[in-house]
Amino acid sequence: MEYILEGVEGAFKLIFSFDREIYSIVLLSIYVSFASTIISAFIGVPLGLLTGIKDFRGKIILSKIYYTAMGLPPVVVGLVTVLIISRSGPLGSVGLIYTPTAMIIAQSLLVTPIVTGIVFTNSKDTGREIIEICKTLGANRKHTFVKLIKELKPLILVATVTGFGRAISEVGAVMIVGGNIKGHTRVMTTFIAMSNSMGNYDISIAMGIILLTISFISNSFLYNRTMGGNNGYKIRRY
Amino acid sequence: MGIKLEDIKKNYNGKTVLNVKDITIKENIITGILGPNGSGKTTMMKIIANLLEPDSGSIIYNGQCFDKIKDSLTYVSHNSYLFNDTVYENIAAPLKFREKENSYIEKRVKELIRMFQIDYLNDKNALNLSGGEKQKVSLARALSFNPEILIIDEPTANIDPNFIKLIESTLKSINEKYKTTILIVTHNTAQSFRLCQEIVFMKDGKIIKHSSTNDLINSKDTFIKEFIKLN
Repeated sequence: MEYILEGVEGAFKLIFSFDREIYSIVLLSIYVSFASTIISAFIGVPLGLLTGIKDFRGKIILSKIYYTAMGLPPVVVGLVTVLIISRSGPLGSVGLIYTPTAMIIAQSLLVTPIVTGIVFTNSKDTGREIIEICKTLGANRKHTFVKLIKELKPLILVATVTGFGRAISEVGAVMIVGGNIKGHTRVMTTFIAMSNSMGNYDISIAMGIILLTISFISNSFLYNRTMGGNNGYKIRRY
Repeated sequence: MGIKLEDIKKNYNGKTVLNVKDITIKENIITGILGPNGSGKTTMMKIIANLLEPDSGSIIYNGQCFDKIKDSLTYVSHNSYLFNDTVYENIAAPLKFREKENSYIEKRVKELIRMFQIDYLNDKNALNLSGGEKQKVSLARALSFNPEILIIDEPTANIDPNFIKLIESTLKSINEKYKTTILIVTHNTAQSFRLCQEIVFMKDGKIIKHSSTNDLINSKDTFIKEFIKLN
């Protein structure tokens, strides 16, 4: 019990010491996760909307592919990314292995199916209803598109924040493609895993607290934009 | 003259849910669409409202292609989607789609809000309303642009009995004032008798009677007689 309390005490000392190494790790984590979330949102939101709203042959198979991809094991994604970007791989000449870019690619591969799947599942019925009502009220394509995005804004935010949560808490894939190199590709999760194995619990706890705080802030943002605040925005039935 | 449906067919999973040979729904009157559950009423209305594609057949309106009037036609169901916005913005939406001037929009929305006695809901988010209030907002929104054809699926399904009268008198006055062609899908035979000049009776995807309301009331068909008695 004592070592836990000592760990917590040490964690707070570390957080308020404004240690340069700690905060560079935090910033790199945020940068990598944010970049991969943006890429995933740009691909996943339109893809999920389009395939969710439209009816086409093979939609059921596609939905099964989405759901499978949502649960992709991170180490497998890491391995596939390494095979592609390693020196002997098809993109080996670009020299991406053990760089933050490689980590962004791996996280994007993990997060895109999550964003796509959430948008796809929830826009299937609601999106069609919005298009239908716009049609009966005489909206043209432009008006319908604007309404669709406005109405599905809470859903898009939920998907994006969930994706960010997945990215920032990811360890397996970034460890494989990034290599946890000090000052270069070391992020919070890989640092926690390493410190823990070395018995440095105070550092692990400090990073854990920062990770939880980031998660709390992103979720608070989501809550304010969807269910709270003064803008009257409500989530319909996602 | 009116809405002419020719050989309209619709199948779902190999089962024919609608098979209409030839029918003309008169313009400028209120027509009721009656029939038991699964008789194809909503499917037929959704096809007329351009929300469903028929597998075959065509619709002609006053001798011209039906597509030409799709902007002046609207469809309201008992659980129509309301936008995640204020009641005012919901009612104003069709007018904004038509890029009307703000002063006209404001005047028209206020007029409809007064007509449906929903002044107290003006700034409320439409998603926070009760079922009956949502129904009134859906109707007000549908009427905002004075449609030529108004299709309503169960117009008073969630409405408080006190307001059923208000909705019925509003529909009647709109029909009289603007000569709007109104098609009402309902289970409520008494309501259809109060409101409609003509009634289309459907069973198993087919129209088994299309007549004046009085003729339907006096129908000798045992199924229709039984349906009227039970509803």
